[in-house]
Amino acid sequence: MIVAEQKPLEEIERMIVPYERILILGCGTCMTVCDAGGEREVSYLHSALRLAQAKSGNGAHAFAEYTLKRQCDPEFLELLVDRVADVDAVLSLGCGIGVQAIAERFSELPVLPGVNTSFMGMAKESGVWDERCAACGDCVLDETGGICPVTRCTKGILNGPCAGTKNGKCEANKDMDCAWILIYKRLEKLQQLEKMRRYYPPRNFRPIPRPRRIAARTGVASGGEDGQLIA
Amino acid sequence: MCASLAVSHRSYQANRAGKLSPDHSLIPPCQAACPLHMDIREYVDLVAQGKILEALQVIRSGNPFPSICAYVCTHPCETACRRAQVDKPIAIRALKRFALEFGGDRLVQAEAETTHSEKVGIVGSGPAGLACAYYLRKLGYPVTVFEAHSEVGGMLRTGIPQYRLPRSVLDTEVQRLKQMGAEIRLNTRVVSLDLLFEMGYQAVFVTIGAHQGLRMGIDGEESPGVIDGATFLREVNLGLKPSLGDRVAVVGGGNVAIDAARTALRLGARRVSILYRRTRAEMPADDVEVEQALEEKIKILFLAAPTSIPRERGQLTVTCTKMELGEPDASGRRRPVPIPDSEFNQDVDALITAIGQVPQTPTDFHLRTGRGSTIQVDPATLTTNRSGVFAGGDAVTGPATVVEALAAGRLAASRIDDYLQHNYPLAGRDERETLTGDLQPATLEMIRRTGRQDPEVLAPETRTKDFDAVELVYDWESATNEARRCLRCGTGAEILFQDKCATCLTCLRVCPYHVPYLDDSGSIQIPADQCQACGICVAECPAGAIALRKPHDRRQVSEELDHILEAATQSKARPLIVGFCCQYGLFGTGRLAGLWRGTGAGVWIVSVMCVAKVEAEHMLRAFELGAEGVFIAGCGEQCARENTASWVQSRVEKVRGTLAQLGLEPERIQAFAPDGSTEDAGEWIDGFAEQIGTLYLTAVLLQEVRT
Repeated sequence: MIVAEQKPLEEIERMIVPYERILILGCGTCMTVCDAGGEREVSYLHSALRLAQAKSGNGAHAFAEYTLKRQCDPEFLELLVDRVADVDAVLSLGCGIGVQAIAERFSELPVLPGVNTSFMGMAKESGVWDERCAACGDCVLDETGGICPVTRCTKGILNGPCAGTKNGKCEANKDMDCAWILIYKRLEKLQQLEKMRRYYPPRNFRPIPRPRRIAARTGVASGGEDGQLIA
Repeated sequence: MCASLAVSHRSYQANRAGKLSPDHSLIPPCQAACPLHMDIREYVDLVAQGKILEALQVIRSGNPFPSICAYVCTHPCETACRRAQVDKPIAIRALKRFALEFGGDRLVQAEAETTHSEKVGIVGSGPAGLACAYYLRKLGYPVTVFEAHSEVGGMLRTGIPQYRLPRSVLDTEVQRLKQMGAEIRLNTRVVSLDLLFEMGYQAVFVTIGAHQGLRMGIDGEESPGVIDGATFLREVNLGLKPSLGDRVAVVGGGNVAIDAARTALRLGARRVSILYRRTRAEMPADDVEVEQALEEKIKILFLAAPTSIPRERGQLTVTCTKMELGEPDASGRRRPVPIPDSEFNQDVDALITAIGQVPQTPTDFHLRTGRGSTIQVDPATLTTNRSGVFAGGDAVTGPATVVEALAAGRLAASRIDDYLQHNYPLAGRDERETLTGDLQPATLEMIRRTGRQDPEVLAPETRTKDFDAVELVYDWESATNEARRCLRCGTGAEILFQDKCATCLTCLRVCPYHVPYLDDSGSIQIPADQCQACGICVAECPAGAIALRKPHDRRQVSEELDHILEAATQSKARPLIVGFCCQYGLFGTGRLAGLWRGTGAGVWIVSVMCVAKVEAEHMLRAFELGAEGVFIAGCGEQCARENTASWVQSRVEKVRGTLAQLGLEPERIQAFAPDGSTEDAGEWIDGFAEQIGTLYLTAVLLQEVRT
């Protein structure tokens, strides 16, 4: 799941200054799950912005709120057509993908990001999320006991541990587990310690041609500039 | 403000509100068990909130004579109460009595208008007859009740001893019924129903009760000094004082036997014993009654059955055989079997037989009777073999309870109405589901144990001297504490907006009672029969998909907040302080409310049914609408849950973060959990008001300096 956190209120306040009528738009999928932009947060932010406006006394904005099931699919965005007809800007609490999807669908409408999209991760417990995947495009989890060295090792090295590990913790942060020690222990349990002996060639940091596109059907060109599919 | 935006926002909210209005609550076990189907959960909750007048209204709307039930109801609701799985059932009957006494039930006036011309005659003025008269008057029919005895009330008057039902209570209800225009003719025995029809009555309700005591069929039953329980109680209750002598034995194990024994004691008998042929476990009498009889030093001889009552030279002796329990009989109770050669004798001065009663229907009524001489009726319509004649109460069921008789009377009234108006009789069906099932161990374990507290009773030494009511009424604190034990079955949370649920598992993680679970298809389920209605998942759900099942519960906090703030902004007192306060128990019932009148600031209270239901947005909204300070006051240690305060604190922290970002002092919002003493609450609120006052003044001064 994509994890994000809401931007500081001051930043949001600054962003919306030029616009009068603003639709605060939540996302009902990842942003709801990570508590950054579901219906509850939309409504809370709405209230906070009205309070900010009441406090500053120079109230210039009119807010509306709505939450889409998902902002990253064009079909859902059709539900916005009437709702954005009268707004000057959309303040999206979707992830970066949602913000861009709206920008793409509504070419003349300013879209403002209300959250900082942070990582792909999982819930550790209620209200706590941890990063787990860097979308490197070259997964080695089969070799590393299901623990990702790219994400969970501070240095992202493929042949760990480095000399900075101490008592199972990382030299960069004494509270953080060394990913390679975790990998070692897990491989030990799996009786696959021989995998530790394997030498990985240096990671290929050559620029991945971005943006990437995955096509599950044939006859689709790789990512076009305007994102249009070439059938 | 952009008009169309405002409209779209409002219509969105209205849409949501529209979806928020249907009642999805389930019928709780107590209500399902009550023959009158009273909204018990509702009035118990109102008592818990200290809203006695509202509780009284709910009680009155579901019961024609609640003050009678408040004394003598056999409370099947308490038997069904699921709190018994935690510790003990809620003392529902006693709470009803508290609501009636403290809510001023005596002052309630009843009125009814006559809107129909068809007269209805009611034969018998017992609970069924009176209830039928009550509801027929409400429907607008002229009603006459015929009573053979010199006093109105049937078994309420002639059967139930005064120490259980003070006569003033019965008189008040009867007086009210007369006020409603019901005609009651005493000393009028109806001998023929044809006569009633000739007199112009178009429908008749026969509710003659079951007054004929059953005979044991043993030698000596005709001797002087032997009397049947129903007759004995009737004589005493109609003002006679039969002299019984010192030693009295009562035969039987039902409520009549206990009533007779305790009445005999109060008439001056020194040694009263009860002979019952089975054991305590099989005794049909109410447990509390048995307990109280034992406290009054009444002896109960179990597994003893009289076989003859010889009388020699003026001395009455009762010969008994000892019994043992054999196979279960038709009633499911184990059948008593005599032990050979186990006779024993007991000398008595009087013997009261109370082994059951049957109705005695005059043959001139021409009504078909069945098993145990009861009148045969269609159970759905209460119609008899004669057109226009309905029957109900003990005359139909055999000896039963007051509340069953009241329900029969109510049913008869609506069926008579159907009959007279030529309507097809439709059962007033409640569409809602009934909640059944036991609480799961994981849930059960998390419910805080608070033992049942029964109202006090008079000491046995005092109460046996006269016929004063044995049970005392709750005081305010005990009543609210007892009512707070209610689990509010069937009012819990549900995923109202399935389409919004992102299956984020927040509800599953935050529930203090481990109720929500993931089903096999990967969807979240919140089983209605387990949810404890704390509202924490509702307040925490990031999708806003969960709501409480009762419409009022869903909207309560927001509506109350809007209402309070509307009033507050019109008042001149500044700074404005909003307090979200728990409405339950003593904390909410006025004592605390008196405290903030002393503070200089304008303190406004939003009363909530547990502060766990106050969301961060509610708190922020109070600021938005003009509050200078906000506090949240839970009931502290009284709370049904142990972690409510931590949930409140985490939401307060969130709002503080937002306030800080907006340049407002975070200390403008605070949570307060008292440790039980209200004095502390007063001091705390004074201190908070002072703090907010200073912040407010500083802000005003700064503003002036700037301008």
